[in-house]
Amino acid sequence: MIRIAFDIGGTFTDFVLQDQARGILRVAKIPTTPRNLEEAVLEGFDAILAAHGALPEDVATILHATTIATNAILERKGNRTALLTTAGFRDVLIIGRQKRYDTNNMHLDKPAPLIARRHILEVGERLAAAGSAVAPLDRRDLAEAIAALQAGDYEAVAIAFLHAYVNPAHEIEARRALEAALPGVAVSVSHEVSPKFREYERTNTTVANAYVRRIVDRYLGSLTSALERRRFRSSLYIMQSNGGLVTPEIARSFPVRIVESGPAAGVLMCAAVGKEEGLSHVLTFDMGGTTAKLGAVDDGEPAITQSFEVDGINNRRYSGLPLNVPAVELIEIGAGGGSIAVAERGLIKVGPESAGAEPGPICYQRGGTRPTITDANLVLGYLDPDWFCGGTMQLDPDASRAGIASHVAQPLGLSLEAAAWGIHSVANSNMERAMRIVSIERGRDPRRYAMVAFGGAGPLHAARLARALGVPKVIVPLGAGVGSAIGLLTADAKIDLSITRILPLEAGQEWAIKAIFADLEARAAPDLANLGGTGEARWRRGAYMRYQGQGYEIRVDLPSGEIGSDYPARAVAAFEAAYKTVYGYIDAGARVEAIDWYLIATVPGVGEKGATARQLVGQDAAAGSGKSARRAYFPEAGGYVEAAVVNRYRLKPGERVVGPALVEEREATTVLLPGDIAHVTGNGHLMIEILGG
Amino acid sequence: MTSRSAEIDAITLSILWNSLLSIADEMGTALRRTAFSEAVREGDDFSTGIFDGRGRLIAQGNFTPGHLGAMPYVIENVLKYHAPDSLKPGDSILLNDSFLGGGHFPDFFLTTPVFRDGAIIAYAVTTAHQVDMGGAAPGSQRVQGISEAYQEGLRILPIKVVRDGRFEDDLMRMILGNVRVPAKVRGDLMAQLNANHVCAERLLRMYDTYGADTMGRTIDALLTRSEEETRAILRKVPQGRFEFEDCLDDCGPGTPPIKVKVTVTVGDGEIEIDFTGSGPTVQAALNSYINYTRAYGVFATRCLTEASLPNNEGSFRPIKVKAEEGSFFNPRFPAASGGRAAVQIRIFDAVNGAFAKCIPHRAMGAFSHWANPNIGGVDPRTGKQFIMYDMLLGGYGGRATKDGVEAMSPVMNCSNIPVEVIEHTNPVRVERFELIPDSGGAGKYRGGCGIRKDMRLLADDAVLTLLGDRHKFAPYGVFGGNQAAVGRSVVFSGNEKIDLGSKEVAVLKRDDVVSLRTSGAGGYGPASERDPALIERDIADGYVTVEGARKAYGRRK
Repeated sequence: MIRIAFDIGGTFTDFVLQDQARGILRVAKIPTTPRNLEEAVLEGFDAILAAHGALPEDVATILHATTIATNAILERKGNRTALLTTAGFRDVLIIGRQKRYDTNNMHLDKPAPLIARRHILEVGERLAAAGSAVAPLDRRDLAEAIAALQAGDYEAVAIAFLHAYVNPAHEIEARRALEAALPGVAVSVSHEVSPKFREYERTNTTVANAYVRRIVDRYLGSLTSALERRRFRSSLYIMQSNGGLVTPEIARSFPVRIVESGPAAGVLMCAAVGKEEGLSHVLTFDMGGTTAKLGAVDDGEPAITQSFEVDGINNRRYSGLPLNVPAVELIEIGAGGGSIAVAERGLIKVGPESAGAEPGPICYQRGGTRPTITDANLVLGYLDPDWFCGGTMQLDPDASRAGIASHVAQPLGLSLEAAAWGIHSVANSNMERAMRIVSIERGRDPRRYAMVAFGGAGPLHAARLARALGVPKVIVPLGAGVGSAIGLLTADAKIDLSITRILPLEAGQEWAIKAIFADLEARAAPDLANLGGTGEARWRRGAYMRYQGQGYEIRVDLPSGEIGSDYPARAVAAFEAAYKTVYGYIDAGARVEAIDWYLIATVPGVGEKGATARQLVGQDAAAGSGKSARRAYFPEAGGYVEAAVVNRYRLKPGERVVGPALVEEREATTVLLPGDIAHVTGNGHLMIEILGG
Repeated sequence: MTSRSAEIDAITLSILWNSLLSIADEMGTALRRTAFSEAVREGDDFSTGIFDGRGRLIAQGNFTPGHLGAMPYVIENVLKYHAPDSLKPGDSILLNDSFLGGGHFPDFFLTTPVFRDGAIIAYAVTTAHQVDMGGAAPGSQRVQGISEAYQEGLRILPIKVVRDGRFEDDLMRMILGNVRVPAKVRGDLMAQLNANHVCAERLLRMYDTYGADTMGRTIDALLTRSEEETRAILRKVPQGRFEFEDCLDDCGPGTPPIKVKVTVTVGDGEIEIDFTGSGPTVQAALNSYINYTRAYGVFATRCLTEASLPNNEGSFRPIKVKAEEGSFFNPRFPAASGGRAAVQIRIFDAVNGAFAKCIPHRAMGAFSHWANPNIGGVDPRTGKQFIMYDMLLGGYGGRATKDGVEAMSPVMNCSNIPVEVIEHTNPVRVERFELIPDSGGAGKYRGGCGIRKDMRLLADDAVLTLLGDRHKFAPYGVFGGNQAAVGRSVVFSGNEKIDLGSKEVAVLKRDDVVSLRTSGAGGYGPASERDPALIERDIADGYVTVEGARKAYGRRK
């Protein structure tokens, strides 16, 4: 049984082949081919199969994370899309929630809506908040709208009527008419895409779904047929933002669910690595070229949020477009290897502006002129100029020194090493701020968590970040450079549905609760039939609940099994336990209500999973830089000191490395601080005990 | 300064400054997530600040400008009543006086001294807008018929409300006995104390890590540098005296307009904002106490001159705000002020109008004014009292290089309340919520459109309280840009159509429809210079009608 996972990134497409019988994980990286993504995909498949001596028909399952939907949204290059709204509410999408993302800036702009006002059409109809019809769907309005849609040459239409989350009748009626009159136009309706209250968020989610639907459809269609032409008979699964896999059919109907596909897979990898090492509480730290992404795994499960913003600015709320889609909880800040450092107001400022991969840091010698975090790390000796990316790239430390000197050291009256150290430290302090939000501000005690660090720059900054927060252990997983692809191998098929029904939790409400879950199960049924997993579905129920009168809900898992007369009381008890964990107290006796209800169905059986790795092959492992030490900056040891350089691929399980040291692998360098101790575990992961500091 | 100590400084400064901001933010998160009132949770109507042992502001969270700007003066006032040597560990002081505090009673300031080795190293301060402070009307913000502060609810001069880390039961009982929603007020006060504790704990850890000496030198350097930087930025503004004049509609039906006059004097790295010449104190709850006037005067100046960060005493020093005692912008106690929030946009507009004369590239056309209506009555679905609090937020004026933004919160930063939430919690049906075509001031860069919301009452009767403006005096355009359409507030009752004043109180019957239409926002530059492609785009998107384009831009087609 062979499984192949692939993750298409902006620069590289990562492949991992898992051969469970031989206990092998084989890895390959192929440059992404942006104009025709399948090209790199097929090349990668050929290469990795050839290296493994296997044939297409040996592959049972293919798993895929993709940014195709995200990119269409970020670049505003989606389908030609129209929106139908309730008459009087044409501007729901344009008005939004109206808050500025920066209070102190009155010159900023709102996030641009996905479609312009001219593409928004009104139709007479109205439901009351409780779902009863106040006015029927106006047939004449609908006919006019259809004529306009026909004339407008649209590829996709979204329908979002007020209160449709309670009663979908008008949306269903309008869709039927549209589908009859406009064959070939994909219609997305709000009660299916996002049956939640708050009209702006629901409308935007529905429009986003319509906006990327044809694009995802075409992409998955051509990918599937390309694989078929190569005689792959394996089943293809797509990663959703919630960390669960679905079939291409579901992804093509609800493409808005795969927007955070790649990042979700990365967090799954962290969860799996934690599990292998017996650590169920994990903070995830992925630092790449332009951003750092921080997340959490609680009790072995990636933290999930029911909504997030896409295309935001430096993690500021209201700067992006809100999507009501369950997603792995991540904070993303503008701190990556390419983040630019400047001297401003007598201080050092790092990011969010980034030199990206092109032109990149000064030391890449591709035209970058402004110093970045990578330049600082090179000057500090953390990176080896002769063995960057396993020696495939030569870095120029003199150019980095000159850039840091003129842009940071001189304006601030600092020495060169102080300036480089300043850039490194300020970057750490920015990430510490974000990690505090993920941990302390959300009720997670960092001392009870381990950190899993990956991405090109993550292992370089992780130990200091862990020290600042009191995190006792850092794990740099095997195959950190292809983390998302490895994460795919650990995923289950998963359907994640939710619906708004505002309900006070008191005796007698068990019938209403029963009806809600029956409704959700009915909605899940067709998707489940489509999933084709081999195992029995595992169901999980939950609700977002609050004390009546509060404005923020917390997520509460609800008991499974029979919903009897004691169910409302059991739900309240579950709420109080969860509330106490988050806030430290409960308001005993106060009335509790539930707002959104969710149902998760997980189907095991997307191939056998097993351990993420025991033996990693395919990366020319044994060759290292060949050096045994170099000078690197450790202020706690007095400045530049001779630090041991260790080839990670040569470390044997149990062998210990004491900091200060630099542990090198192809895609990353792990900085080990004085007093900290690292060893490779039986699973091949690098485990660092944070003891110093 | 030797180069070695300079080295310590730039890096330590950067890191410690980041940490202080992070503490101020963390206080905000603690406050928001445990608060009970809508204003705190939804409107972010709260603020956090850290002051050093000498009472100097060193960092603030990015929350409500009105609170942020008032805070330094509030601490000064608190310490006048409670000398530092009279404070003990575990004490906290509460104040809500409109003159000493944030300009109206609902703003609660809680100050907690932070002790280390027996000395005060800092003060943690939080402000939260309490949803009710008693007085003549729910919410304590009624404008019409309120002539003195004593009608506006409970007034608290600085009192030691917390000892040994616990609220004094007797004082709490007295406060809660005077408000309509005691559970919310109590919950928010607890949340404020909780946030102050978060601040104290993290500050103490910082002091332990870096030492009192480094912390002290860092704070001095931060304030000095912030002041120097602010002055350097202000030096880019051409020196001179720049005046601007405008009017607020009135302070209720039958009252005269209120004159708003501002003189901006730009000196060498410093700016004075002077409201002398504005109208007198009014006999309605609209007056802007000096702390409020200062807060928004400074906020507008910093936004317009780009001297926006960091928020601390150093960066505040070069900007002075003044107004004559006894005037609308500097009333004496007990002037009524509950509804003064309606004035903040006008303060910004006036300061912007004056700055247009010296920094045209930063100025904007005037904002759509907001509308902050309340509808209160009995909900027939539950038989219980309801208060529907709403916020209509229109457009921004045209800017030097682009059109004004459509439908975004001006000045104070709040979000709207979704129609589906309003209809779920109130016996009201919203019949339309949309932009008003042709209402934005024409110009080379067009002002944003006004916004319209029509609401039908589904209860037997109710009281409508309006808090808006710009029904009489249109939002101005700049540099030849047109003014915008004025706003209107209309009630449709049976076959009748009744126009209301911007701050009127009216009784509604079942099925009456309240139609609120804010003004548009002003244009920037002459309409004749507008790119024809933008005119066509606006017509296609319906922001401007064909007829409107003919009138405003002379478009022929």
